[in-house]
Amino acid sequence: MRWRAVLALTVIALAAAPATAEIKSGSEFLSPEMRRQQADETRNPAWFWVEQGEELFSRKPQTGAACISCHAEPKQSLRGAATHYPQVDAASGKLLNLEGRIEQCRIERQKQPGFGYETPEMLAMTAYVASLSRGLPVEVKTDGAAKPYYEAGKAFFERRQGQLNLSCQQCHDGMVGQKLRGDTISYGAGTGYPAYRLEWNDVGSLHRRLRACSLGVRATQFDYGSPEYLALELFLAGRAKGLPVETPGIRR
Amino acid sequence: MPFNARITMPAEARAGDIIEIRVLTRHPMDRGGQSDGKGGTVPRMILNRLTATYSGEQVFRLDMNTGISANPFVSFTTRAVASGDIVFEWREDGGATYTRTARLVVT
Repeated sequence: MRWRAVLALTVIALAAAPATAEIKSGSEFLSPEMRRQQADETRNPAWFWVEQGEELFSRKPQTGAACISCHAEPKQSLRGAATHYPQVDAASGKLLNLEGRIEQCRIERQKQPGFGYETPEMLAMTAYVASLSRGLPVEVKTDGAAKPYYEAGKAFFERRQGQLNLSCQQCHDGMVGQKLRGDTISYGAGTGYPAYRLEWNDVGSLHRRLRACSLGVRATQFDYGSPEYLALELFLAGRAKGLPVETPGIRR
Repeated sequence: MPFNARITMPAEARAGDIIEIRVLTRHPMDRGGQSDGKGGTVPRMILNRLTATYSGEQVFRLDMNTGISANPFVSFTTRAVASGDIVFEWREDGGATYTRTARLVVT
């Protein structure tokens, strides 16, 4: 009977997850050495992607205009832009994250073939644009038109899923600071993304990270840019409101 | 953009000073061995050597193998002796080389 008692206690512990306390950035859970590496431009490899994005931003395609011909002086004009994403696109009423907005701009305004999610070019562009908001607090809208998406993201976060029958909340609210394999469980704030992950040896988007999470609990992995992950991204950004953007971050 | 490098060092130094040189490199450092889908394996493709030459003299050499991570970082020191170029050269599997030059002014 003892295992039953242990099981019951575990279930109680999972159920008694505290209401969202103060959310901390993912870098708070890194070793001091890795935090220093993230802050040090001479040692953080993710800056290569930012550099590439900066170059793409001002490169003129064969037909059509370069990004910089509309967004002149991006260091000022786009400073803080990334803090408002994901946001609801006024024209279509759809939720767009930074990747979605850049792709929309590229296809509709520049009349260019889209980069595609998770391509090196898209990662470079998002890393560059997000890096322009480095240090500024996340300021997404979660009310008004964004409310249904936010609620959907919240429901996704709280819903048990996968073969392990875990919800995001059970770990990322209830077990924060504890160990999962070799890593420390964080609040799941995506403020460092696109980030250089040591596991990937590469820069990846938040949706790539979410797919890894879904795989971890043996749940359905949704596509890059899928409505499920977009809504979840909005919910996570809403939770992380006020935290500074750290892109390009380093994560384990 | 398979290769890129970020070299950080002081632009100026006094003669006799020890200067720190930091080299961050963008390279996938593919150790190879994966299936290529046609019955063979993907060959190794890494940077296998980095050398730094200061005023014509080699001051640093790093032989790299498959244990080195992608996008490697290395830092080393040298003594500032005379104004001149420090030439960094990477040798890639297959024979390609990449070069970057940084100027050091010694006062």
